[in-house]
Amino acid sequence: MRLSTLLLGVLLLPAALTAQTYDLLLKGGHVLDPRNGINAPMDVAISGNRIARVAENIAPTEAKQTVDVSGLYVTSGLVDIHVHVYTGTGNKNSYTGDRSVYPDGFTFRSGVTTVVDAGSSGWTNFPDFKDKVIDISKTRVLALLNIVGKGMAGAEKIEQDMSDMDPKATAKRAKEYPDTVVGIKSAHFAGPEWASVDNAVQAGKLADLPVMIDFGNFHEARPFQELVLDHLRPGDIYTHGYKVQVPYIGEDGKLLPYLAQARHRGIKFDVGHGGGSFSWKNAVPAIRQGFWPDSISTDLHIGSMNAGMKDMTNVMSKILSQGVPLYDVVKMSTWNPAQQIKRTELGHLSEGAVADVAVLRLDHGRFGLVDAQRARVTATKLIVCEMTLRDGQVAWDLNGRTATDYRQAHGLM
Amino acid sequence: MKQTSIIVLVLFAILAACGGGEAPLPESYETLLKGGHVIDPKNNLSATRDVAISGGKIVAVRENLPVDRAAKVVDVSGLYVTPGLIDLHAHVYAGTGIPGVLTGDSSVYPDHFSFRSGCTTLVDVGSSGHRNFEDFKDRVIDRAKTRVLVLLNVAGGGMGVDGEDDPADMEPEKIAAMAKKYPEIIVGIKTAHYSGPEWVSVERAVEAGNLADIPVMVDFGGNHPTERPIGQLFLEKLRPGDIYTHMYSGLRLEVTDEGHINPSMFAGRERGIIFDVGHGGGSFTWRVAVPAYAEGFPPDTISTDLHTGSMNGAMKDMTNVMSKILNLGSSIEDVVRMSTWKPAETIKRPELGHLSEGAIADVTVLRLDEGDFGFLDVRRITRKGNKLLTAELTLKDGNVAWDLNGRAGEDWETFYAREENRADR
Repeated sequence: MRLSTLLLGVLLLPAALTAQTYDLLLKGGHVLDPRNGINAPMDVAISGNRIARVAENIAPTEAKQTVDVSGLYVTSGLVDIHVHVYTGTGNKNSYTGDRSVYPDGFTFRSGVTTVVDAGSSGWTNFPDFKDKVIDISKTRVLALLNIVGKGMAGAEKIEQDMSDMDPKATAKRAKEYPDTVVGIKSAHFAGPEWASVDNAVQAGKLADLPVMIDFGNFHEARPFQELVLDHLRPGDIYTHGYKVQVPYIGEDGKLLPYLAQARHRGIKFDVGHGGGSFSWKNAVPAIRQGFWPDSISTDLHIGSMNAGMKDMTNVMSKILSQGVPLYDVVKMSTWNPAQQIKRTELGHLSEGAVADVAVLRLDHGRFGLVDAQRARVTATKLIVCEMTLRDGQVAWDLNGRTATDYRQAHGLM
Repeated sequence: MKQTSIIVLVLFAILAACGGGEAPLPESYETLLKGGHVIDPKNNLSATRDVAISGGKIVAVRENLPVDRAAKVVDVSGLYVTPGLIDLHAHVYAGTGIPGVLTGDSSVYPDHFSFRSGCTTLVDVGSSGHRNFEDFKDRVIDRAKTRVLVLLNVAGGGMGVDGEDDPADMEPEKIAAMAKKYPEIIVGIKTAHYSGPEWVSVERAVEAGNLADIPVMVDFGGNHPTERPIGQLFLEKLRPGDIYTHMYSGLRLEVTDEGHINPSMFAGRERGIIFDVGHGGGSFTWRVAVPAYAEGFPPDTISTDLHTGSMNGAMKDMTNVMSKILNLGSSIEDVVRMSTWKPAETIKRPELGHLSEGAIADVTVLRLDEGDFGFLDVRRITRKGNKLLTAELTLKDGNVAWDLNGRAGEDWETFYAREENRADR
């Protein structure tokens, strides 16, 4: 071999190695990745189902396909830790049936790649839920097991049955499915007893998992302050954070001191919007006085989907409307919830992480955001989902950014 | 002047004040949609009008209706007010737990998609057949807030595990009997996905349609241009008023290889065949739609073919599909007609799809945005457009079923300032 040929080969080698290293390059976006402290213009390269590189100015020549996302925000796929998706059973009027929804019709179009079903199923019917929904969904569906063995099969009787709250059986089921079960849920309990909460916490201890509490009927025999100061453990989650029954503001017009104590203890406050669990009456003063949510979630079900809740980006827009910066809103919808459910492989764009990605657009205009009472806050910003990747694959593409332009395909340009 | 003449004159004056022949204005109404541009193709109306609603009915569509008679006034200025959209092609037989078929996991629940895209009526086209329609009715139709109407599949098991290719399971008498048992729900017959070169599925569907006196919709299945060409379908097999869906799929020579529309399409339209979009996961390509439209072949009806395989792809939802037709060049009035009155007429449900006084108060308020939008087709080709329709507000039977920007709500500060709203509830 002549020297010049060898030299040429050496010169070409780096190019040959780097040529089309990546399957997909998201070019020109602004990356918000709170896990890694990134809040800057960056390109995101994906290979297979993994994030390959996040850096400034990755050359399009290194990628098989480049998608222009300039003017948009690139985040980790959103993690919605409160949904109800145990549907398709034919059960009427219950979250183990008709009141739940299939996840894929709601998730990707709103930037969500992971949902956590919050207690629709309990230890007895979780395998059926897994078979009917979790295993056939493209969305990553994780679950909190209800402390009630039959799950949310009926709020009036079944979910009040204290004899069906078995911490051992619940923990055992959780340990059988560590890939899917990420916590325990207590919800809809009406009575004066602490049994529902305490049994859930007991199951959480046995399985080493966090607990999420919907406090049911706020009963004077079990004050909310005691829940977050005594009964829950650090890392446990109170959902329906801005429900109107939660005491927020004292007579002095200021946040009640117990809230800071609870947060200091490590109790997590989740939005869990739902059909009736988000009130501007609480959310506006609480957020403006600095009591932000730890995590943003929808409480998606048929009673919330067409009402004030609508979808994940709508709920995120509500928190944004009260002055929380977009970076923090994204943190509350990605890395924070991932940590809360101890799934730290999710919710960020680290190199090597699974390529669940959301591309968000921030619109400026005049938007109405209503709570459960149809009380409306007028906002000037709205978060819209432009594109969602799940495992590196396009799962939603609002404006066809990942596809071939018609004029190009038909030789018109 | 005689007294009677005076009375007659006074009566004429009152009638003239009411707008000439219109019914007297109600003393009060529950909801007033104020300041919108009403498009009501059945009544040839496209103008600024207020719409008053009471008791689930349209009670008045007129200029400058008084606000003091309304319990609730919703400002819809800058928006289009139309009849509730009718999606003539959807698959909503979900919830059976059967994997991989449209009698189960490939269908979606109607309420999850309808209202947020302005639809108040969905027509399930052939997911069920005469053997499983009643299960479908029990499981979905009776529990949905959306008005769900049905075309029965010519195949007895619908689009279930038994498939749609067995002529022995295509029994016109049984199909017609089921259709006649539920005339308030079953509005037609469907044949789809028939793979063979025979005409049997089309012929039995038409036979059932004749027996029940309802239209037939055809998804023409496998492409057999020699044995069963679309021209023969349109001119010999179908009846005027029958529906050809997936019109822009290009899967059965709707457009020739040279890129021109098949003359059979015009012949079919001439004969009264209804051409429906039926977008779906594989049935709308710009390669077909652009030349077909440019050569003078817009759709009669716009529909989604909603199912799990189309919802997250190019189809997305009804207003997205309407926007595609709008960007091909149709007027907003035509696009609304294709999505309201025309489908209502096609399924012989003339009580739907319009805003006549006395009609059911299914109403949609649409926003027309101008900007830079991309519209995917099923082959992953994006065509740019500068118009996008979005559902702002949907009323079903007069009740708010979707309200994107809380227009029917109230400012939070005034709301919570009122004593009755201060209680912790």
